[in-house]
Amino acid sequence: MELLRSVYEVAGFILLIALGVAALEGYFYYHFKFHDRPWFFWAGLAVFPLLAWSGFVAGGIAKPGLFAWLLALEAAVLAFFRYAVKGRHSLAYLLLLPAFVGLALLLVYPFLFEVYLSFHDLKLTTIMMWKNTGKIPFVGLEQYVKVFTTSPLSEVTFWALLGRTLLWTFSNVFFHVLGGFALALLLNNAISLKGVYRTLLVIPWAMPQVVAVLAMRGEFHSQNGFVNIVLGRIAEAYPFLAGLGVGPVQWLSDYPLLTCTIINVWLGIPFMMVVILGGLQSISTSYYDAADIDGASYFQKLRYITLPLVKPVLMPAVTLGTVWTFNNINVIYLVTGQAGGTEQADILVSALYKAAFTYNRYSYSAAFAIVVFALLFFISVTYLHGFDAAKDER
Amino acid sequence: MATVKFSNIVKNFKDNQVLKRVDLEIKDHEFVVIVGPSGCGKTTLLRMLAGLEEISSGEIHIDGTLVNHLHPSRRQIAMVFQDYALYPHMTVEENMSFSLRIKNAPKKEIKERVAEAASILQLGKLLKRMPKQLSGGQRQRVAIGRAIVRQPKVFLFDEPLSNLDAKLREEMRVEIAKLYQRLGATIIYVTHDQVEAMTLAGRIVIMNQGVIQQVGTPIEVYRKPDNLFVAGFIGSPTMNFIEGKLRVEKGHVRFVSPSLSLDLPASLLPAEGAHEGREAVIGVRPDDVYAGREAGKNCSQQVDAVLEVSELLGHRENLYLKVGNLRVLATVEAFFDRSPGSSVPVCFNFENMHVFDKASQKRISA
Amino acid sequence: MTGTRKGYFSRLAASAAEVMDSPVRRAKALRYLLIHIVVITAAGVCVYPLLRILSISLRPGDRLFSTDLSLIPDGATLAAYASLLKDTMFLRWLWNSLIITLATSFIGVSLASTAAYAFSRFRFPGKKAGLILLLSSQMIPAGMLILPLFLMIMKLKLMNTYLGMIIAYSVSSLPFSIWILKGYYDTIPRSLEEAALVDGTSQVGAFWRIILPLSTPALSIAFLFNFTTAWNEYLVARVVLFSSKQYTWTLGLFELQGQYITQWGMFAAGSMLVTIPVLAVFLYSSKWLISGLTLGSVKG
Repeated sequence: MELLRSVYEVAGFILLIALGVAALEGYFYYHFKFHDRPWFFWAGLAVFPLLAWSGFVAGGIAKPGLFAWLLALEAAVLAFFRYAVKGRHSLAYLLLLPAFVGLALLLVYPFLFEVYLSFHDLKLTTIMMWKNTGKIPFVGLEQYVKVFTTSPLSEVTFWALLGRTLLWTFSNVFFHVLGGFALALLLNNAISLKGVYRTLLVIPWAMPQVVAVLAMRGEFHSQNGFVNIVLGRIAEAYPFLAGLGVGPVQWLSDYPLLTCTIINVWLGIPFMMVVILGGLQSISTSYYDAADIDGASYFQKLRYITLPLVKPVLMPAVTLGTVWTFNNINVIYLVTGQAGGTEQADILVSALYKAAFTYNRYSYSAAFAIVVFALLFFISVTYLHGFDAAKDER
Repeated sequence: MATVKFSNIVKNFKDNQVLKRVDLEIKDHEFVVIVGPSGCGKTTLLRMLAGLEEISSGEIHIDGTLVNHLHPSRRQIAMVFQDYALYPHMTVEENMSFSLRIKNAPKKEIKERVAEAASILQLGKLLKRMPKQLSGGQRQRVAIGRAIVRQPKVFLFDEPLSNLDAKLREEMRVEIAKLYQRLGATIIYVTHDQVEAMTLAGRIVIMNQGVIQQVGTPIEVYRKPDNLFVAGFIGSPTMNFIEGKLRVEKGHVRFVSPSLSLDLPASLLPAEGAHEGREAVIGVRPDDVYAGREAGKNCSQQVDAVLEVSELLGHRENLYLKVGNLRVLATVEAFFDRSPGSSVPVCFNFENMHVFDKASQKRISA
Repeated sequence: MTGTRKGYFSRLAASAAEVMDSPVRRAKALRYLLIHIVVITAAGVCVYPLLRILSISLRPGDRLFSTDLSLIPDGATLAAYASLLKDTMFLRWLWNSLIITLATSFIGVSLASTAAYAFSRFRFPGKKAGLILLLSSQMIPAGMLILPLFLMIMKLKLMNTYLGMIIAYSVSSLPFSIWILKGYYDTIPRSLEEAALVDGTSQVGAFWRIILPLSTPALSIAFLFNFTTAWNEYLVARVVLFSSKQYTWTLGLFELQGQYITQWGMFAAGSMLVTIPVLAVFLYSSKWLISGLTLGSVKG
């Protein structure tokens, strides 16, 4: 019974959203379509108060100040549509509306809220005050200063985190591309069972990330994990190797970042492989035939034909992969963090999550997040500029 | 010297035998065109010569050297592909010099050879352009230029003109013919277009279903087709075929069919030989079918036909005639003076007629 | 044509003999053999962790922490599965996840389909800005928006409910979906819509009747992407949901894993039960998925 009720709930909610969207569309449709009618202003100003008032009554709010504000706003909107927009591009905007309203509410507004937070001081001690009065102390740029000078968690500094994040990102992307490229090249031959292999190789990507990461993490467990069991057996069987230091390793406590990197590489190679394979398959064999006749060796063909022709597919994938890896909180968090874990493996984003939800330093975390975002944005813009410039030069 | 010899070539693709025993010799400085419908195996043969396909059995010799296991780059060949295969990310100059660059040839030599090829093909102004900035004809010339730079013993062309429009095709045909005169190299050219074959070839090799049907000069295959396939493939419009039986009567051969019967002159098919009751096919080109007034002159065996449709082609005209239940195409001087539906006398030119044995598909007439 | 088994082996032997004959073929066969070996090893590395989970899920209860590496343990049993389904609210968790994910995917794809159409077919002021907005939204660090969303949902009193989760999820895959759909719409020739307009529909009608039906591959990809993102999500759920009854399966599985005792058996069993269908769906649609990804990225 309860199950059915949940279905009703959700269906009702979707209906509500649909109605909301329809209302919004209707509102804008009116403004677009009838902007040049003489009765435009008057009808708008007449109908709108009625709607607003009924809304107020239904919601139990009775604030005349707010009402006056809204009326003025509506007048401005009417003017805007009458004189500025003039009904052009109406269809395009109407189509975009639902998506962008959603984005505005759930993406832009939260983002702006974070900005707001970053200039104030919301933490464990002030949150009750905020709940009750809706106010939090304003502290200007203090949080931003703190980002660079104090630690988000207990010890590690911003700069250490930045360095670690960059190391993490580059090493991961490097191995992703290397492994993915190698596998794609291998699979691009006319071997049998190619489909089977591709299916198997894609599994790390297809598995739910939570399961995959926790499974791999389990394999690095100091006693029951596959890696240490095998290492232990090797050390037993070949004592001279044990003498060289081969043996079970405390992965999670001694080398957390390395462990996370190995796991993330395992997770990320299939995506690169698939994208590169797609690119390889679109290269016409005539080019290779011509190169064969011209006498190119395997590596010359790779360098002069394969690489340049795969670049247009590779570059977006690498860009995306880099951004995703930089922001990859799942792997680090799941491997090291649930029970408070170690800080040695944290990267920027995982530190900021922990700062917010484990240490309750909400404002600090907001400032931190803005800094990270600005950093990433800046890097991407310079990278894209450089890429475009290089393209135009050619 | 640059001779090519195919011996006993067989090619199997899985269970499909694509080439069933091909023997062919190509002499030095020859322009040989291999022509045939799609799927006849001509491209496969070319690619095996280039080293891009494996040879199931048989041998290929270039200049007396067995090349079966030689890498394509060692065979001293150059190939012009159907889709040109120009490296899209390199300029024209870089495309043409690629083979020399990867061998680290001296820069001076590279420059010279590229300049030479460019001047032959009038590519001088295009050297710095990228393939995507070129028209189809220009790309084709670059592909040829790339081949020339390699200074090969044998040039291989794989349907190079099929991606061009009709007018451009005509122009490029002339260009290629001029190129051959200038370079004097051995050229092996594959196409499905018999017009290209007829106009360019020194010798034509006609293939169908993995077997060579006939080898000869254009005139030979036109005038004396060895079998039904060649007769129907070469020549435009297609030859008229009439099926029937042969009877030997009073010392000469008579061709009998439901709609038409003809006495064949001894010069065409002497009465000796086991012709009685043989199922045969008569082949006669539309140019050799006379109609109307032309049919009256010196015609011993006039036949009556009905004119169905006429097509004016400029100074010739195609007449679609019906003799009994048989459709016959005649090509005559333009402005034929009968209208559709009228009865027209028709006569055949026995000198250029052919008789084929239906069972073996081979020509039995002289 | 394929013949009997005996025929197969004799043909295999014949082709092997053929191969041995020529040095070119020998080299090629050797190369292929090496490729197979490397690829099989890589595939093994990819699949092994999954197989280990399977074997852990089959272990009898008393040997949960053994160092045994065999894939099918002695005394393999389905007890873990049984106890997972009976003693925990696993099914309930699955149900929760399903409802939330389906609703989210549906909303996400609907919103994306119209927006992508606008980006694909029209020119309007703010188009470039909109695209940049979509692109830069990908750069927002994970966790950055979780806090405001958390606070918003708290204020709306929607904590621990389906609706709260749906609100949180519905927009997260929107930029990517719009990108993919736009890329796909771009490949549909405008002449189709023009023909429809001549036939008498409106622009919107053309979209509804012609473009949408033609875009089913791209819509499926977008749906799939939305689905998997929401289905596998953990961090937001952890923040919004706090009663066991409302958990999604990711949170539920974590419950089994944390605290003092890790119930590995049930955890592994749960993992298998969730992974198999996801893998199946993923592999079934993998061809589309891949072409969809490369389509978007090449155009972009």
